[in-house]
Amino acid sequence: MILALALTAAFLFGSGAYLLLKRDLIRVVAGVMLISQSALVTIIGSSLSRGDAPIAVQPGETVSDPLPQALALTALVIGLATVALLLALVHRVIVVLHTAERDELAAGEAAHDAALESQRQADLDEAR
Amino acid sequence: MLLSIAVLLPWVAGVLLVGLDGRRRVVGMLAVAAVGATVAVLGVLLAQVLASGTQTVVTGNWPAGVGIVLRADPLAVTFGLLSVVVVLAATVHELIIGISERTFPGLVVLLAGALTGLFLTGDVFNFYVFFELAMTASYALTTYGGQRRQLQAALLFTAVNLLGSFIFLISVAGVYRVTGSLAMDAVRTHMAGVDPNAAILIATGFFVAFSVKLGLFPFHFWLPTAYAGARPAVAAILSGAVANIGTYGLLRFGVGIFPDQLRLAAVALIVLGAVSVIYGGVLAVARGDTAEMLAYSAIGQAGYVLVAIGVGGPVGLTAAVLYSIVNALNKALLFLGGALRGTFVAGAFAIGAFSVAGVPPMAGFVGKLEMFRASIVAGSVALVVLLIVGSALSLIYMFQVYQHQFWRGDQLATWASPLPLRLLVGILGLLVLAAGLWPEPLLAISSRAADTLLLGRIG
Repeated sequence: MILALALTAAFLFGSGAYLLLKRDLIRVVAGVMLISQSALVTIIGSSLSRGDAPIAVQPGETVSDPLPQALALTALVIGLATVALLLALVHRVIVVLHTAERDELAAGEAAHDAALESQRQADLDEAR
Repeated sequence: MLLSIAVLLPWVAGVLLVGLDGRRRVVGMLAVAAVGATVAVLGVLLAQVLASGTQTVVTGNWPAGVGIVLRADPLAVTFGLLSVVVVLAATVHELIIGISERTFPGLVVLLAGALTGLFLTGDVFNFYVFFELAMTASYALTTYGGQRRQLQAALLFTAVNLLGSFIFLISVAGVYRVTGSLAMDAVRTHMAGVDPNAAILIATGFFVAFSVKLGLFPFHFWLPTAYAGARPAVAAILSGAVANIGTYGLLRFGVGIFPDQLRLAAVALIVLGAVSVIYGGVLAVARGDTAEMLAYSAIGQAGYVLVAIGVGGPVGLTAAVLYSIVNALNKALLFLGGALRGTFVAGAFAIGAFSVAGVPPMAGFVGKLEMFRASIVAGSVALVVLLIVGSALSLIYMFQVYQHQFWRGDQLATWASPLPLRLLVGILGLLVLAAGLWPEPLLAISSRAADTLLLGRIG
């Protein structure tokens, strides 16, 4: 069971990392989502235990460890919030820049570099 | 009591302020008041902790082992105070030039709260929660301004750092698996008996997560775009306050929880740190843009901290703590001052520039001096040479920018920024100068913080 969960987590992380390297921003978001799920599967696989609900425990009774469940729930909520934030950010980028491709974002960066280069050239001319 | 107030005050104030329209001046003032009050509380707490030792609170009066532990020791409170001071300076800066987005004041106060909680918590998972809270606030803050460059910066920053956060979460799961506990002191005691293979894997996970935050050499690629694209105030917050998470994490987790693994990897850490120093320095020299130069400089300065942690021992750790304090102040001063013009500003910027290069009597000199002492204790000629080369590089790039910014003969040179802004930068400059002229308090605090780690008084 643990092996299956570990393989699932590895597969999710791998697919997420692959998507994260894509040019399309929506795929990048999907990659982050998969990696967040991989972290959850890791929590569950590494520490979830079987047993009764840990409410009003009698001595000698086997109960499941409540902590991993609390961790998984907290991580789930945090993951949801961060992915929502990332989606909002991507939406904003698409609205402002009219593109969802990372290449075209990089083009903006290149334009900034070119502007700096011309400024440096102006400084050199001034020095001569 | 103060400990709980330090965490709760910015938290409650932030939640309230997020709902208000931050463009109104009074809301910005409330935010400055809230962050200022947090600074005051942390200052008193630091004095108490230095005078009478570590304080702990178990939340909700649960029995120990069930409730979450909040712990104020010299290391935690020092980093908390430092980060919140930087946040305060950046908030005042924005308030003076006029806040242009409604969420900004709420977000900075929440960030201050998250940072305080993160430094003061004694629980690994609680650390993750505060860590995500601080990062989420900084993702949103990076978009401040809303122009093309800010959005690009925010997108890259968010995507890369989310990956770092999830690697951290996976490592937390690993810690719970092998030790069965999440309280830092319990984890520390159990970790000694753990299978070394598992322990080194988990330690590597934490190292990667914190290196991404700090922007160390192989994990630095997001940093220049993010720092150069963000507004100056936000860049000051990112490099002066949020990056402290990385340093604190490396110290608290590396030295505090994984001392054996740290010793094992000491050479690797020193080599990585050295590469960071040289790489950051060389690329900073090659950059024309002030913010970009400062971003590469941040990579180099993070390298020094890693070298000091690699050297370890009381001297190395004192150097690491002291260097992070000085570096955070320098970066706040330079990022805020880099975009201004007029009397005081050039002087304050020069103080910051000399401080980065380690020229006396600036604070950076004390930091560099401790670094030299650490490398002599390590008995390594190569490290001493590295420090000298690194300092020479920083002198070159800082004064390239100084010349570019303040000695230009065009209209920019005659234009002056508003007086309050110049005063703010002047005060930061005086702080850096004062810390260099009278370094004993800083040295004492840093060595107390290093002792906390070495004696293992966690929890």
